[in-house]
Amino acid sequence: MLRVRGLTMRYPDGKLALADFDLTIAAGELVVALGGNGSGKTTLLRCISRTLPPTAGEIWLNDANLAALSGERLRQARLPLAMIWQHASLVRRRSVLSNVASGALGRYGGLWTALGGLPAVERRAAYDHLGAVGLAALAGQGAGTLSGGQAQRVAIARALAQRPQVLLADEPVASLDPEAADDIMRLVRHLATHGRLAVLCVLHQVELAYAYADRVVGIRDGRIAFDRPRADLPRDAVRQLYLSEAA
Amino acid sequence: MSLDAAVPRLVERSWAGALSLALRLVFVLMLLAIVAQAAIVVHARPQDLITGAHGMADIIRRAVPPDFVKIDIVWWPALETIDLAIFGTVGGVIMALPLAILAAVNVTPSRYLYYGARGVIGFARAVPDLVWALLFVTAVGLGPFPGALALSVHSIGMLGRLFAETIEHMDMAPIDALTLTGARRVQVFTHGIIPSILPSLLGIALYRFDENIRSSLVLGFVGAGGIGFELLSAMSLFQYQLVSLLLIVTFVMVIAAERFSALLRARLG
Repeated sequence: MLRVRGLTMRYPDGKLALADFDLTIAAGELVVALGGNGSGKTTLLRCISRTLPPTAGEIWLNDANLAALSGERLRQARLPLAMIWQHASLVRRRSVLSNVASGALGRYGGLWTALGGLPAVERRAAYDHLGAVGLAALAGQGAGTLSGGQAQRVAIARALAQRPQVLLADEPVASLDPEAADDIMRLVRHLATHGRLAVLCVLHQVELAYAYADRVVGIRDGRIAFDRPRADLPRDAVRQLYLSEAA
Repeated sequence: MSLDAAVPRLVERSWAGALSLALRLVFVLMLLAIVAQAAIVVHARPQDLITGAHGMADIIRRAVPPDFVKIDIVWWPALETIDLAIFGTVGGVIMALPLAILAAVNVTPSRYLYYGARGVIGFARAVPDLVWALLFVTAVGLGPFPGALALSVHSIGMLGRLFAETIEHMDMAPIDALTLTGARRVQVFTHGIIPSILPSLLGIALYRFDENIRSSLVLGFVGAGGIGFELLSAMSLFQYQLVSLLLIVTFVMVIAAERFSALLRARLG
């Protein structure tokens, strides 16, 4: 489970990107964050993953407050948190299988992995993860040869190799065609339901939120505009989210 | 726009054009002045080329035909020259790589280490390999070893800078992604950074090997082994037919190294 309490992020130039943000995501729940450009969605993910240090607030992942940790303790506590981005960010010159298995590196500290090796057990597990995303046949292929949709699936498989409890997804379908976008969202939905992952997914495609989310969080000017179950989400509220940006 | 309004603009443009032309003329004159002062400083005397032609022709006449009978005594110095370049390049790569990581602004663990590594790389590069060879000849004596050390140290400077630039220009998104999976710094390096830049690093190292073959020829002139040492000895003893043989072997070695390096770099893509 992921719990965010009073999360605030103010950039050095004084701009308030997140203000007193509260959010809880349970295991098995897929929460979609919607909002206009610059509303604070990506900042929220970056603060939760601690690639940006928040100005204030708490980020609880299991029993650890990530906001209060740093260095090795942060690395250890963050292991159950995986992230995928708009671009798959794979090491293009390595094989698909090696990219996936590298998601498990955080659990190993020996000389073999330090020298570039991957544990045999993780290579076998990586093959299973690739099977879970429907790409086992491409295991030996170079990551640089994949299509955008395939690469994103491999990135998800790499996230699975991390054995995460929480998955953060920053516009994971923004650069994909509608069919591939639908495939990826269906996969994320499946992982949330059957893999008991707590998923926070930033999207720009409102229809995908309506199709796959359990809950939708609207973000405007770094604050929660609404936080509702998908079934109880009026289209007007979503429209207002983007209208305010246009105004 | 009326014709009356357009005329002042055209006049302004013609003034601007004249000014630009004058500036270009000044620039060309300055370039000529720089070349002229260089010719004066180096005591350039083209007429000496004409008067010296007779001497050159005499040397060429005495160098032909090359003394192929002595090919047996050339193999070893030739091998020594190639091995100087191999040792110099491998030694340079081994030492340049960690320094380059410290000297690349996007992956360095500390600002102090960054400046320290940059300083070492800059110093190794600033001192010419010939000077390094003189220093190492003084330190460890005559022979190929000081030459190999000189090439290694100078290669640290050249390779360190190019490696660091390669690391700085790499796509950081896969590296950030790997870091966020919880991989340790050394794992990020071996699983992310190295695979991403390895072909570029190998290409640079091969190019350096090609350069080191050329450099190792000159190092022999200061007693640091290789075919250059034989060349200097033959010239000192006026054995011009042996000189021409050594030059032919040198030519073949340089071209072969160049082709080998280019071929491998092309395969690395």
